[in-house]
Amino acid sequence: MARMKFLCDAERCIECNGCVTACKQENEVPWGVNRRRVVTINDGIVGAEKSISVACMHCSDAPCMAVCPVDCFYKTEDGVVLHDKDLCIGCGYCFYACPFGAPQFPQAGAFGLRGKMDKCTFCAGGPEPDRSEAEFKKYGRNRLSEGKLPACAEMCSTKALLGGDGDVIADIYRDRVVRRGKGSEVWGWGTAYGPGKPGAQPPAQQPARGRS
Amino acid sequence: MRVFLLALAMQFAGAAWAQSEAQQQQQRQAEQPGNNAPVWRDVKAGEKNFTTIKGRETEVLVQPPARFPGQNVTATAGEAWRKFRNGPVTFYGGLLVTVIAVVILGFYFWKGPVKLHDRPSGRLIRRFSTLEQVVHWSAAISFCVLGISGLIMLFGKYLLLPVIGYTLFAWLTALGKNLHNFIAPLFIVSVIAMIFMWLRDNLPKSYDWMWFGKAWAFFARGEHIPSGRFNAGEKAWFWGGVILLSVIVSWSGIILLFPNFDQTRAVMQDAWIWHASAALLYIAISFGHIYMGTIGVEGAYGNMRTGYTDETWAKEHHDLWYKEVKSASRAPAAGAVPAGAPHMKEKT
Repeated sequence: MARMKFLCDAERCIECNGCVTACKQENEVPWGVNRRRVVTINDGIVGAEKSISVACMHCSDAPCMAVCPVDCFYKTEDGVVLHDKDLCIGCGYCFYACPFGAPQFPQAGAFGLRGKMDKCTFCAGGPEPDRSEAEFKKYGRNRLSEGKLPACAEMCSTKALLGGDGDVIADIYRDRVVRRGKGSEVWGWGTAYGPGKPGAQPPAQQPARGRS
Repeated sequence: MRVFLLALAMQFAGAAWAQSEAQQQQQRQAEQPGNNAPVWRDVKAGEKNFTTIKGRETEVLVQPPARFPGQNVTATAGEAWRKFRNGPVTFYGGLLVTVIAVVILGFYFWKGPVKLHDRPSGRLIRRFSTLEQVVHWSAAISFCVLGISGLIMLFGKYLLLPVIGYTLFAWLTALGKNLHNFIAPLFIVSVIAMIFMWLRDNLPKSYDWMWFGKAWAFFARGEHIPSGRFNAGEKAWFWGGVILLSVIVSWSGIILLFPNFDQTRAVMQDAWIWHASAALLYIAISFGHIYMGTIGVEGAYGNMRTGYTDETWAKEHHDLWYKEVKSASRAPAAGAVPAGAPHMKEKT
């Protein structure tokens, strides 16, 4: 069984925001909500600039899931963390708890009253029947059910953003690290998938060979 | 001025820090290409960086590490908050509320309510004015709505959800959350009114200390303890509950209620901890007040319900106030002594 994960290669991300656009387009995400964002560290400083694309990481032990007062989150058999907007009460606790700032709230009412939470679904829709209109309206495209991977990762021009089975993308990344001999950190994996669990360890913890 | 200079100095320090982080990375890149340790340090610290997505804290890649009281490992602030909320707050808060409720009910079935010693005289004294009744019941009813909806939001997932199922529970909790949000201002306003209204009668007096020493004798055997318009227990509830806990709960509640003030997640996490802890304590203590005001003391409920009390009740429970009223050194609550006199008049 696949365990879906995202991996962003900081050595490759060029901050084009293609993933952000792809996500918004594919899922018809409402105004004011961005399920994915690109954060640039040391912006504009030559030799020090690094960018990371981040969205819901679909954590193994998801804090959002744990704090939800109505237990509206669930995990698919592919390890994707999804939620049921019909149950969501818009309390914002998942937003407090998420390390990555993934849950988004359309400001639906006066005084910044929160609407139903919206977040990255790994392009896997929601609890409604696969590819139904209701599912699309609430959660966006269900690409996983069509045998496709998330739009953001598929659209990535430099293939910095990888989305798919954790073992597969870890292998791709390990191969890259070995070839280029640098950039071995897999950002966010320790936080999202936890250290010390078999298969959850950042794949390139061992010093990459060929480093000068 | 000093604050301004300090802020300026901090600005420079901050800029210097950011500069050095970037410079470190530049240097590292030159010396050991591919070693991004300075960048990851920056990210891990939860620093604000740059993003084109405008929004609150969107520039932060991952929440900074934090540790709440009693935690021995740091985690990202969100994870630490989750552990603190689902751990000590839920467990000890639930324990506190349950234990207090059980103790009070146990006491009731063991000793029964405090009864009047003498027969009611049939002569009624105005104890609370209409204004006082309105303010009290506004605060009381809104408190109950807030308390019950709050308890559902914290414990419902464990206690109610397995019983009534997802659909009904989500509907109930959504209703509770909206009531919580919209009733809260009423509670705040009535508490402010209550503070001004009853401040004078709740000023501590020398005889109040005796009450605490003899409280057990009162509860268990119905002994008389000298007290003014409010006894020392009511005064403690006023200062500790109505004033202190209300301020904590209201202030933290406002922070959580209006997420459009651009407060950060860290602020809201802290506010939630204060809000929930103070509210749980408030609920637990309120059980005592509600018990005394309903089934715990014979005749107490009618006083606030109707505004009038029997002379015997006044004599037995608030003797000093009774004497004051009788000696006409102060008017009764509404000043409505002569028949036909204007009903609603503030005490002087």
